[in-house]
Amino acid sequence: MKRVVINDAISWWNRLLTFFGAGRRARDIDDEIAFHLAMRQAEHERAGLAPEIARRAAARQFGNVTALKEQTHDMWKFPSFESLVRDVRYAFRTLRRAPGFAFVAVVVLAIGIGATAAMFSLVDTMLVRGLPYPQADRLVVLIGNVQRAGGVERRGNSYPDHVDWRARATSFEDMAAFTTLNATLQGADEPEPIVGEAVSVPYFTLLGVSPTQGRGFTPEEDAVPNRNAVVILGDGLWRRRFGADPSVLNRTIQLGTRTYTIVGVMPAGFTGVSDTAQFWEPFAQSGAQFDNRGSRGFQTIARLKPGATITSARAELDTISRQLATAYPQTNDKRGVEVSPLADVVLQQLRPIVVALMAAVSLVLLIACANVAGLLISRSDARQREIAVRTALGAGPGRLLRQLITESCVLAMLGAVAGMAVAQISLPSLIAASPIAFPTFVQPQLSLRVLAFGIVMALLTGVLLGLAPMMHARLPRLSDALKTSARGGSSGMRSQRLRSALVIGEVALAVLLLAGAGLMIRSIQKLAAIDPGFEAANVLMVNATIPRQAAPPAAPGTAAAAPAPFVSSHADVLDRIRAVPGVEAVSLASDLPFGGSSAVFYSAEGDATVAAETMPRAYVHRVTPEFFATLRIRLEAGRTFLPSEERTDSQAVVVSHNVTRRFWPNQDPIGKRIKFGAPGSQNPWLTIVGVVDEVKYRGLPENPTRDPDLYLPYVDRATQGVIVRTRVEPSSLTSAVRAAIRNGNASILTFNAQTLADVVAQQSSASRFTGWLLSVFAATALVLSVVGLYGVMSYLVAQRTREFGIRLALGASREEIVRRVLRDGMWRVAIGAAIGLAATTGLARVLAGLVYGVGTFDISSLLAVVMLVVVAIAACGVPAVRATRVDPAIALRSE
Amino acid sequence: MGAQETRELLPGTLDMLILKVLSRGDMHGYDIASAIQRASDGVLGVMEGALYPALHRLEVRGWVRSRWGTSDNNRRAKFYRLSALGRRALDEEAAYWDRVAAAVSRVMQSV
Repeated sequence: MKRVVINDAISWWNRLLTFFGAGRRARDIDDEIAFHLAMRQAEHERAGLAPEIARRAAARQFGNVTALKEQTHDMWKFPSFESLVRDVRYAFRTLRRAPGFAFVAVVVLAIGIGATAAMFSLVDTMLVRGLPYPQADRLVVLIGNVQRAGGVERRGNSYPDHVDWRARATSFEDMAAFTTLNATLQGADEPEPIVGEAVSVPYFTLLGVSPTQGRGFTPEEDAVPNRNAVVILGDGLWRRRFGADPSVLNRTIQLGTRTYTIVGVMPAGFTGVSDTAQFWEPFAQSGAQFDNRGSRGFQTIARLKPGATITSARAELDTISRQLATAYPQTNDKRGVEVSPLADVVLQQLRPIVVALMAAVSLVLLIACANVAGLLISRSDARQREIAVRTALGAGPGRLLRQLITESCVLAMLGAVAGMAVAQISLPSLIAASPIAFPTFVQPQLSLRVLAFGIVMALLTGVLLGLAPMMHARLPRLSDALKTSARGGSSGMRSQRLRSALVIGEVALAVLLLAGAGLMIRSIQKLAAIDPGFEAANVLMVNATIPRQAAPPAAPGTAAAAPAPFVSSHADVLDRIRAVPGVEAVSLASDLPFGGSSAVFYSAEGDATVAAETMPRAYVHRVTPEFFATLRIRLEAGRTFLPSEERTDSQAVVVSHNVTRRFWPNQDPIGKRIKFGAPGSQNPWLTIVGVVDEVKYRGLPENPTRDPDLYLPYVDRATQGVIVRTRVEPSSLTSAVRAAIRNGNASILTFNAQTLADVVAQQSSASRFTGWLLSVFAATALVLSVVGLYGVMSYLVAQRTREFGIRLALGASREEIVRRVLRDGMWRVAIGAAIGLAATTGLARVLAGLVYGVGTFDISSLLAVVMLVVVAIAACGVPAVRATRVDPAIALRSE
Repeated sequence: MGAQETRELLPGTLDMLILKVLSRGDMHGYDIASAIQRASDGVLGVMEGALYPALHRLEVRGWVRSRWGTSDNNRRAKFYRLSALGRRALDEEAAYWDRVAAAVSRVMQSV
């Protein structure tokens, strides 16, 4: 039988190889036969026949030339369409006669193929099709970095560096600077915070996206320091604010305190490289320090020239970086440029997740296949008699094989249709429910490619499943099969072995998936157990923008110019919030946890560090005195600020633990002095009045860098974070707190109200999302493998009814029978679990970057095994107990 | 060329004969036909055309391989060669044939 399968496969392959050469083959056959006839004719002529007679004799000897040519050609043809239709119809008829089997098989395959197709459509949109730009693989992001003692850190670019790169580098078609902007959209009933991008002129052409109306920016509009108030709208903003007005060009829009002229509208779906932008301004309006080489923040996007590669571009920028470091050692020592494909930067976080999930889902499909293969094998055992009859009636082994494959393909196709339908319905809600943000261009849909993938998966599954029962079966002889005693023969033994192997495989895969889910859950627990250094529960956070009383004329190049008083002082804001019932404490900060702040270099009195790699650096926050109490950050030494210190010229500073550990490890740090910049700079010395614990203020599970934090007294400012500790559920105070901040003043803006607990949870959202999905897959795998085990055990018990009857009749106890059956099932489970457990060591690699604080071999892997064994005992136990219910008398008569 | 000569060979026998002839070396169709005819003293020489569907069936099955070459009289001809798979099939077919032929002749003689 195995030989037949192999021969059939070879034949199909050979036919496939020449499928498109049919015309040539017809000519070849003509030539071949013409040669034969010519040779024969020549032979007859040599024997003395006249040419014409010789030709006729040769033809007669050959037979019907036309018919034979056709016959020869037919050898290469695939079985005809009619016979395929006949096979399919027969398959449907067979399946209808076994509806229970068909239903289970289709459902199991639907789960497997549906889940795989759903994940594939994610993989397809994100990893295969990639970014929605023409020739997106040539788009790269340039990010300035710095070599520090701890390694290379991403920093950002300065405008003079950007200008120099663009002028000197030859690997790129062009470069554009871009950065995100927050603005306040005025003019409607309530001002609205919106996000945009400041971009330099080549930005749009470089991405290959053109405005649907109007134009991109001109070099004049982007000239530094000229500040032209022009703006390009995103499609969404244009529809929302201007009702998709086709004559919107040259109209104006009020952003913050300035009025902008609209020069263009971008197409729908385009939200910039940041994937959040609703409008664009020239980069000259970004507020970057255009003449300060040391002020770094934005990123640069570039398009590689046709000949250039990432490697060559890196090499060139390395050279340029070295030139700049030599020319400007103050600002550019140890500075380099990272050149990364745009796709890597955009999809960085999602890629490992999608890959891990795709792997998991493929395992589920494998288990589903093993399951259905098991079902088909039992069925083919039961169908021995039918097959024997068909063989006796003249069906060749190839014909039978084709019938079986058609049957399983029909099953798989039905499964695929059902599965893909479920996938298409559930996928959008899955993405919507996902706590990790997918890029907006990821909108999986029933694309032709996903459809093709599903069909290919189904056919592949169908062929494999059709082969499975044939691999073990022998062609039954009619006489044997018709004799009832044929049961339990060698074919039965062999099918049992194959089914055991399938169950072992299923158990192994299920253990692997359960262990994977276990690792993720453990990692999530560890993430949740991290002490960030503050207490996240019962804290509400709101961003507020408070404008100055009279908008100054549009000429403020620097932030410190013309400070008109704010419409509401921070002391008033605090007082108003404190009066809200349920508020325990409140404070203001220049930046909120995980909201982003910038690093500065500082120096400690008496310390002479000068190397750029180890130059002390810290993150600076301006906070009100109650800040530490509100977040419950432990004060290690000294005190918080005094109200009297809340001035711009205050010289008090609170530092985090690592500052004192670095410079004054065994001394009292209170009264020591630090300053911003180099020790010799003109900045004033600041005196340490307090030391607090290190906090994970910038990221969980770890801050992106190990730099400490410096806290300075709060001074009135336009944008701030409000941190409120509540006695009640924090989100219930949201509207009360916002009202208290605004105090009826429409020009005060409050946005992004969130509880700190939610923000902390978002930090581990990728882990939780992956863990959740993986758990679903693992549960599916567990159910499927247990169903498979149950099927095998039931079959086994049913086959041995007679044996058990004899045993019981001979005085075996029921416990003994149960033990026997359990032992029979559990050795399969044991082998499978052992294999699965061994395979878990490979898990760490797949899940690398997704798990936190969990080793390769975790206790959860063992838990997975225990869980599986418990369920498996149940799956074996039911048939085992049934075995003991056998009435010996009936069992013995049952044959 | 009477009615008796147009009778077909036992099914599957032609395949075996082709494989057997090819086991001696590469040949084109005409040579195969001639070889069978010669070896059987002309008994198996009729309906040469049936050779070609059989050859192509064997090729599809992977038991023989073919290539275009030049014949002794310098004409373009298609040459066939036995593959490893075909060699194995030949052994099996030959063994089977021996058993069946012996059995058939035993029966024919015993009655």
